[in-house]
Amino acid sequence: MTAVSSPLPARKPRQLLGADARTAILYLSPAFIVMGLITFYPLLFQVYMSFTDFGLRNLRPGAEAPPFVGIDNYVKILSNNLGIPNFHFIRMLFFNIWWAFSNVVIHVILGVAIAVMLNTPGLRLKRIYRAVYILPVVIPPIIVATVWRNMFDTDNGAVNNLLSTIGGVFNLPESASQINWLRDVNDPIPLVPLPLAYFALLTANTWLGWPLNSVVATGALQSIPGELYEAAEMDGANAWQRFRTVTVPFLRPAMLPYAIYGFVVTFNLFYLSYFMTAGQPFGRTELLVTQAFRLVNEQRLYGVAAAFAVFMFFILLTITIITNKLAKATARYDA
Amino acid sequence: MTKHLRLLAIIASVAILIAACTGTEATTAPGTDAPATVAPATDAPPASEPAGAALEGTLTLWHTYSSGAGTELDALNEILDEVRAENPGLTLNVLEVPFNDVFNKYNADAATGAGPDLFIAPNDSLGFQAREGVIADLEMYLAGNLGDITDTAVEGSKVDGMLYMVPESLKAVAMYYNADTVTTVPATTQELLDAVSAGTYTAGFFGGANGAYHNFGWWAAFGGQLMDETGTCIADQGGVAEAHAYLAELQAAGAKFFPNYDDMANGFKDGSLDLIIDGPWASGGYRETVANLGVAPMPAGPAGPAQPLSGVDGWYINPNSANIELAVAFALRTTDQSAQQIFVDKAGHIPANANIAITDPLTQGFADAVATGFPRPQVKELDNFWGNFGNALQQVLETDADATTAIATACSEMNTANGK
Repeated sequence: MTAVSSPLPARKPRQLLGADARTAILYLSPAFIVMGLITFYPLLFQVYMSFTDFGLRNLRPGAEAPPFVGIDNYVKILSNNLGIPNFHFIRMLFFNIWWAFSNVVIHVILGVAIAVMLNTPGLRLKRIYRAVYILPVVIPPIIVATVWRNMFDTDNGAVNNLLSTIGGVFNLPESASQINWLRDVNDPIPLVPLPLAYFALLTANTWLGWPLNSVVATGALQSIPGELYEAAEMDGANAWQRFRTVTVPFLRPAMLPYAIYGFVVTFNLFYLSYFMTAGQPFGRTELLVTQAFRLVNEQRLYGVAAAFAVFMFFILLTITIITNKLAKATARYDA
Repeated sequence: MTKHLRLLAIIASVAILIAACTGTEATTAPGTDAPATVAPATDAPPASEPAGAALEGTLTLWHTYSSGAGTELDALNEILDEVRAENPGLTLNVLEVPFNDVFNKYNADAATGAGPDLFIAPNDSLGFQAREGVIADLEMYLAGNLGDITDTAVEGSKVDGMLYMVPESLKAVAMYYNADTVTTVPATTQELLDAVSAGTYTAGFFGGANGAYHNFGWWAAFGGQLMDETGTCIADQGGVAEAHAYLAELQAAGAKFFPNYDDMANGFKDGSLDLIIDGPWASGGYRETVANLGVAPMPAGPAGPAQPLSGVDGWYINPNSANIELAVAFALRTTDQSAQQIFVDKAGHIPANANIAITDPLTQGFADAVATGFPRPQVKELDNFWGNFGNALQQVLETDADATTAIATACSEMNTANGK
C-alpha cells in the first residue's frame, strides 16, 4: 500500500518588511531625499568644516582641502580666545537662555490674562479686539525692529518724548527723560546684570509675542465646559479658585506646547537683537544666532562659525529633550 | 488606489533625484559665462584689446553708487552711455548692490565660480580678496597701461606687489564745515578743542563701534602707529591712547559723537552740526543742503599732521569671467582721463590720473587730505583691527574707560587674533 501524502502548500519566504511598511517608506522617501540634500548633508559638512580652517579659497570646486585644526576652533570658542571684542560664550549662552525664558513667561501670563478678559460673557466688540491684537504678528520683522529702535532713540524716540511729556507734568528736568535705552552700560536694577537694552528688547518682543499666546489661550478657553464653572461656583469657589482648578488645567495642554515652541523661537530670534540693539551695549544683548551670523559675515571665520553652530545644535538639542519631557508630563484634565 | 499612490511616490522620488543630480546653474548674472576654473597664468602676455578697437561682447558689472548721494551714479551712467555709444557691439548688464552687501555677496559668488565680470568698489577688502583668490591678478593685463596713474593709486591697487585693481579714484576723510558758522577753520587739535569748548560751533563725529575708520587720522596727529613691519600691533606704544583721550576731551567739551553714521550726516545737513569728518562719497548730499560748504584736512596734532586712511576705488575683475581681457579693456576705458574727469566734475572724486587738474575747492580739500593720508595696508593683520579698535573707541567715549587700558586691550586682542 502506497502512502499518499497530501502536499503542503509552499511557505512564502518571510519578507523583511510588510506591504504597509514598504508603502510608508515609499511615501516618505521624497521627503527623506530632499531633507538629506538640504539638511543632513549640509549638517555633516558643517561638522567637517568645524575641524578645519575653512576659507573662501576652499569653496571653489576642486579646490584644495582646508587645513585640519582639530578641536582648535572649539577650544577658542570656549576660552573666548577669538580676538573678537566682547565675545564671551558662557555669558552669551546664559543671556540667551534667560532671554527666551523671560519672554515666554511674560507672553504666556499676559496672553492668558487677556484671553480670559476677552472671554468675558457679554463683552462687546470681541472680534474687533481679537483682530486688532493679532496685527503685530503680520508686520515684517525688520520693520518691527526698525520702528522699535527708533522709538527707543535717545534724542528723538517716542518713548523718551512720552516720558518727557509726563515729566513735564511733574516739573522734572528734561535730562531725566533722555534715557539711552539701547546703549547705556549701567544696569538699571542693582545686582541684576541686565542692561537697559534688554528691557527695550523685552518690551518690543512682548508687544509682538502675547497676541498669539492670547489666540491659543482663547481657543483652549472655548473648550472648557461651562458646567464646570457652575459646579465650582455651587461648591463655593471664588473667581481665583475657579481659575486655578478649572481654567488652568484646561489651558495647560494647549499652552505648554505653545510655550515650548515659543521658547525655541525666542531663543533663535535674530532680527530684534541684530537690528534693534546690534548686540549693544558691548555684546551684552548678543544672542548665539546673531553671533554666529557675525562670525561668518563680519569676521569671516568660517571654521569657527561652523564649530559655533555645532555648539548651538547641542544646546538646542538639550533644550528640545527637556521640553519634550515637559510636554509628556502634561496632564490632560478629563472631566 | 494604493497601487496608484505607490506609483506616484516612485515617480516623485525619481523626479527629485533627477533634479538633484542635474544641479543648478551658477548664479551668474545674464550674459556672463563663468568657467569652472581659473585659467592658469601663462608666461606670454595675454591677447589684449588693441588700442582704439571697439569692444564687443557681454559684460556684467556691479556698482554701489546708489548707496551714496546719487551724484556718483549720475557720473557712472554718463560714462556707461558714452561707452555704449562708442561700442555698439558691447552689451552691459549693470547691477547696483548696496555697499554694505557688495563684498560678501561678491565673495560668496566668486568663491563658487560665479559672480559678475567686474565690480567697482574701494580697496577695503582688496588684500583679503586677493589672498582668497576671488579677484584676478591683473599684473600682466595692466602692464604699460597705468602710466598716467599716480603712484599712490597704483600702490593702493597692489597686494604683495601684484596689481589686483584698475584704479579710478582716491579717497580719505577730511573735515567738512559750514563756512557761515566756522569762520576760522581749526588747523590744530588744540584750536578745535578751544572752539568747541567756547561753543563757537558744534562739531560732530562718527564715534560708535564702527568709527575706527573715520577716526584713524587722529592717531598720527598724536604720534601713534598701528603696526610694525611684521604686522604686530604697536598701537599701545604711545600716541594712540593720547588720540583717544583727546576725543574724550572733545566730547566732554561739547562735541557730539554719533554711534550711527546717518545721525551725524543728517545733523550736518540740517544745520545742527557745523563741522564733521566724513569722506568725498557724501559730498553730493552735503553740497545740496549746506550753502557755504568747505572742506579742509583734519587738524594737525602735537606730533604732526593727521593721517587719515587713504584708499583707492577701482574695478575688480572676476577670475571666473570668460571675458577677462574685455573686462580689463572696459575698466581701462571707464577709468581713462575723460571718464575720470566726469567722476571729478559730477561726483567730486579725487582722480587717480595725475593729469587731471582739480578746480573745485571741495575736491581739492580731499585731494590735500589724500596727499597726507596713510595708505591703507593690505596685510591680513588689518582684518582684526576694525572690531577691536572700534570697541576701544566706543569704550573710551561711552563708558569713560581709560584710553591707555582700552588701547592696550584692543592691541592685545588684535595680536591674539593674528597669532602674534
